[in-house]
Amino acid sequence: MFDTGLLGADMLSNEDALSNELEAAPAVSFEAVSKWFRPGNRIIHALSQVSLTVAPEEFVSLIGPTGCGKSTMLRLAGGLLEADRGEVRVHDRSPVEARRQKRYGFVPQNPALLPWRTVRDNVSLLCEVNRRNSNSSPSRNSSPSSNSSAGMSDGDKLAMLDEIGLTPFLDALPQELSGGLQQRVSIARAFALGTPLLLMDEPFSALDEITRADMRYLLLDLWRSNAKTVLFVTHSIPEAVALSDRVVVLSGRPGRVTTVVDVALSRPRHADVEDSDEFRRILAEIRDALRHGWSN
Amino acid sequence: MTRTDPVEAGPPEQSASNSDLAGLPPDQPPELPRRPVRRAFLLAAPFIGLTGLLVAWEVYVEVRDLRPLTLPQPSAVLRHVAENPGFYAQNGWVTVQEAFLGFVLAFVAAVAVATAMAHSEFFERASTPVIVLMQSTPVAVLVPIFLLWFGFSPWPKILTAMLFAWVPFVANALIGLRSVDTDAHELLRSVDASRWEIYWRLRVPHSLPYLFAAGRICVGLALVGAVVGEFFNSRDGLGNAARVAQSRLLVNQLWGSVFVLAFIGVAFVLLLMAVEKRVLRWHSSQAGSHRGV
Repeated sequence: MFDTGLLGADMLSNEDALSNELEAAPAVSFEAVSKWFRPGNRIIHALSQVSLTVAPEEFVSLIGPTGCGKSTMLRLAGGLLEADRGEVRVHDRSPVEARRQKRYGFVPQNPALLPWRTVRDNVSLLCEVNRRNSNSSPSRNSSPSSNSSAGMSDGDKLAMLDEIGLTPFLDALPQELSGGLQQRVSIARAFALGTPLLLMDEPFSALDEITRADMRYLLLDLWRSNAKTVLFVTHSIPEAVALSDRVVVLSGRPGRVTTVVDVALSRPRHADVEDSDEFRRILAEIRDALRHGWSN
Repeated sequence: MTRTDPVEAGPPEQSASNSDLAGLPPDQPPELPRRPVRRAFLLAAPFIGLTGLLVAWEVYVEVRDLRPLTLPQPSAVLRHVAENPGFYAQNGWVTVQEAFLGFVLAFVAAVAVATAMAHSEFFERASTPVIVLMQSTPVAVLVPIFLLWFGFSPWPKILTAMLFAWVPFVANALIGLRSVDTDAHELLRSVDASRWEIYWRLRVPHSLPYLFAAGRICVGLALVGAVVGEFFNSRDGLGNAARVAQSRLLVNQLWGSVFVLAFIGVAFVLLLMAVEKRVLRWHSSQAGSHRGV
């Protein structure tokens, strides 16, 4: 059980290597990554020798107790933090390089919308920033998808905003929107970059339970029409199961990968998937893994 | 999804007929009570307050039968100002120019210094004692020095106005430039936004509410600075008019200068508030009454 997920991903990328050299690279890979933090004069061991490989267009959730380093893993993948030991690669580049070239979209825990910008302008914020660097991104392959600089066209952006029901609010200011709508804008902002990778840090944790359940399937619909690799941090087990291809269970300090659970539920998934027996079985498996990690 | 609620799905007319079918009258929102008298009173409140003060003052002087040298009647002062429009316009214009230039220079210097402080810890640590020193030195005592440097030019007054206004500006600019949302900051870092982009797209807009709040205080302070500068040595301006009036016991002119200065201050604050209302449409300070009226 422990390593099947990792092996599976490697096999997948080997198959791809035959057809396309670019696709061969895993979307994200962690190799024996360790990370320490030094707040004041304390030393916190945040991650200990974590290894994980995420295949292109895979949806992987990181789950674990507070302080297990799941958000740290996300920030390492985004080049927002640097690993002390081991190596993180994003599409065969260093995470910092991926960040410079705008190769991933980040969805923070809070929507973090700029209050003086309308919904429309908030969605295009990330496309407007750092244009120069992204335009000069050296693409090893001339395929348009590998050049993520320009982001979505305006037409595509509007279509996407329409798909998630934001059309009536395009010219509204964030403060006029409910929490759920604000978080939709935040997700749309990341999708608008048109990047092959999304890093999401507990994006639904501030929402009420009902809105939160809706957002899952809204995200899945978007993901289906804009194929991407997603690394998703959450502390909700049902959320992780409903969304993911694989769920990575982490144990607390120092953070380690306890188990990787495959979620073999068919896609596309709808809200009724949560009533299935298989869903409940996987839920129990993850709960068990979390308890196991806790007792260690 | 198979069982859609017709009341929610249908157009408005249909929903009305549906509730008819259910044996209930169509649901209408209650009419909002219109209170024209109340609205008129709220609009007139500032003028009522001001008029009330002047009337009370007028009556008080009348009843106590005070000598004009002790306290003139506001009607007499207003009449005096109306009879000498050229004198007050000319001197007022001089003072306004000095105060305005001082205000603008204070703003520019404060934003420049606060920007440097927000970006460099070394610069912040180095400049903090200097700012505290400037904050605690009584600025007025520097005016004779400025006079030594610049003589009868407008610069001693402009510099005094600037120094009076600059401390609130620098303090608020620094808080504003620093008060960025950490999530938004990380988000911009995730696409490798430059410091410059973070400054313009995040820090500057975040600091605007603080700068406007400082601006309202600094309008008054810049006027104080200009007038203090004029007290020391000047040939024109409202500060000079008041000083001359005091030495020659021209009570109406003394109070006339006060009235015109007050009017100038209020006019500038109102102007600033109008700009603020447009620029800070997004900010919660512009979200209307918080008294639940």
